[in-house]
Amino acid sequence: MSGLSEELTTAVEPVAGPTPAARTWRAFRRNPLGLVAVGLLALLLVVALAAPLIADYPRGYGEDVLAGPSAAHWFGTDHLGRDIFAQVVWGTRTSMMVGLGASALAIVLGVAVGVGGAYFKRVDGVLGLLVDVMLSLPVLPLMILVAALAGPSVTTLVVVIAVFSWPEVARVVRSQALPIVGLSYVDAAHVMGAPNRWVLLRHVLPAVSPVIAVSVVVTASRAVLSEAGLAFLGLGDPSSWSWGTILYNAQRSGSLSSSWWTAFFPSLAILLLVVAATLVALAYNDARNPRTRQDGAR
Amino acid sequence: MALLRFTSLRVLRCLLTLWFAVSVTFFVVRLLPGDPALAIASPTMDEAQRQQILADFGLDRPLAVQYVTYLGELLQGNLGVSFRQSVPVSEVLLERLPWTLILTGSALLLTLVIGLPLGVLAATHRGGALDRVIQVGGVVGQSLFVPTVGIALLYTFGLWLGWFPIGGAIDDDVYGLEAYASIARHLVLPCLSLVVLQIGAYVLTLRTNLIDALGEEYCTVARAKGAPERRVVWKHALRNALLPTTTLVGLQLGLLVGGAVLTETIFAYPGVGRAIYESVGQLDFPVLQGAFVLLAAAVVVANLLTDIAYGLLDPRVRAA
Repeated sequence: MSGLSEELTTAVEPVAGPTPAARTWRAFRRNPLGLVAVGLLALLLVVALAAPLIADYPRGYGEDVLAGPSAAHWFGTDHLGRDIFAQVVWGTRTSMMVGLGASALAIVLGVAVGVGGAYFKRVDGVLGLLVDVMLSLPVLPLMILVAALAGPSVTTLVVVIAVFSWPEVARVVRSQALPIVGLSYVDAAHVMGAPNRWVLLRHVLPAVSPVIAVSVVVTASRAVLSEAGLAFLGLGDPSSWSWGTILYNAQRSGSLSSSWWTAFFPSLAILLLVVAATLVALAYNDARNPRTRQDGAR
Repeated sequence: MALLRFTSLRVLRCLLTLWFAVSVTFFVVRLLPGDPALAIASPTMDEAQRQQILADFGLDRPLAVQYVTYLGELLQGNLGVSFRQSVPVSEVLLERLPWTLILTGSALLLTLVIGLPLGVLAATHRGGALDRVIQVGGVVGQSLFVPTVGIALLYTFGLWLGWFPIGGAIDDDVYGLEAYASIARHLVLPCLSLVVLQIGAYVLTLRTNLIDALGEEYCTVARAKGAPERRVVWKHALRNALLPTTTLVGLQLGLLVGGAVLTETIFAYPGVGRAIYESVGQLDFPVLQGAFVLLAAAVVVANLLTDIAYGLLDPRVRAA
């Protein structure tokens, strides 16, 4: 479609072409699956932010116990007659909060260790070993132990999930930063007497920023799964709803075996969020890679 | 000689990992605010009784002394005493460990048996409809929440169709062959849940590796010599594509064990994971701590075996 005009413009002024970010975004917009996924994530974010406007906070007891989905209760009610639609809406808020919070913290730690390891060769061995060791341990039982000790709260969940999620980020970031550190523009900066801090901030970090962007999405979706897992085992924040807590209630009360909706809707919410996040990450990777993107401009 | 050096390095690393796991749990339990004594002492106890309990569990001594004692006891297989049941933790957990090993082991085996042909199919039909379906399935499978899969299977095959039992690991009063059949029937649904969770990673990794291998020169040579495509794929390319896939087993083991904890909870399967679920409710920290140490040890040993197998299969790894 725009192939010809694009070729002409790039041929005439090769220097003033679109920035890489603009090209990535243009390629991304052509991927329908990626766009749907972004839309879905945006929708979930709106639901999380606007929860009080969408549904009343589910509390107390309702009259219809374990009623199926209907016009009054879109997602049915649980064993205490509380509306499950409201629970899922408010659960979106907790899940998003824990997911984004834990992801942010894990990214900061992981990028620091990953870039630090690649840049400062002396600490690389120790940091690499630490990452390997932590990656090979079964993390969920460890999270359970720590969350049980620290007492369930949103803050605990964020910290616990972040503390055991950063090694994955560090591994990916380090492998991306390693070839950058050996490039000649980094050497040139050193020769010109640039301090380490400057080289790291100006050269290394921007070069690994696309990986960091993907990591944010992937780590957040994994954090949501971890939160749901911990809540499902009874370690969720007792003062706020989360998707895992709804499932925990369904499992604990035994309503699971008679009322499918108590498990179906929170499960669906988790699935939509994680699949959307995965698709966004995949689509972004495709759009960024000149060999796989389909915009004709290389 | 190279293999010996490789193996001993791996064993050292294993020991280091275990020491790390053990130390982390020790300090986490001692330094976090959840006072273990509060968890066992009831509010009706007076101060003297509380101190007595602290002394009984050795919690009144300096941290360093507790740490060394803990390591020493651990080396002798002593994981402490359960707060709630007043029996050794090792006793509680060791009778449950075989069930977890059966569950995770069969899940891993089944994942490989189903996953490898699927990966080969996707790679050999690259770009086709089958490839697309397998890829999408792989991505969605990896995104699923373990309890979701478990509950869906439990509903469909346990409650609705009634083909398989919905909980437990074995029926009462069955002996001989019947006992094996009973164990197998109870195993199907929890095992399948774990397979669904795991298989995507294996299929997608094998697909990528196999596509790479099929583009290598030795495959072109094999084709040029007139070898049928089937032989090129299964004899030449697959062998090399399997090597990096072996590393995936090590990376996925931790995830598999985590999945087992959730799956055992749903199916009331009497493994270590179910013990964790029960202990969370009772705040039984020694059991939680012991369960993690035991599962970590199992994962580390399995990892070591994978590494050694990898070293045996690929001489390049030994040299590195």
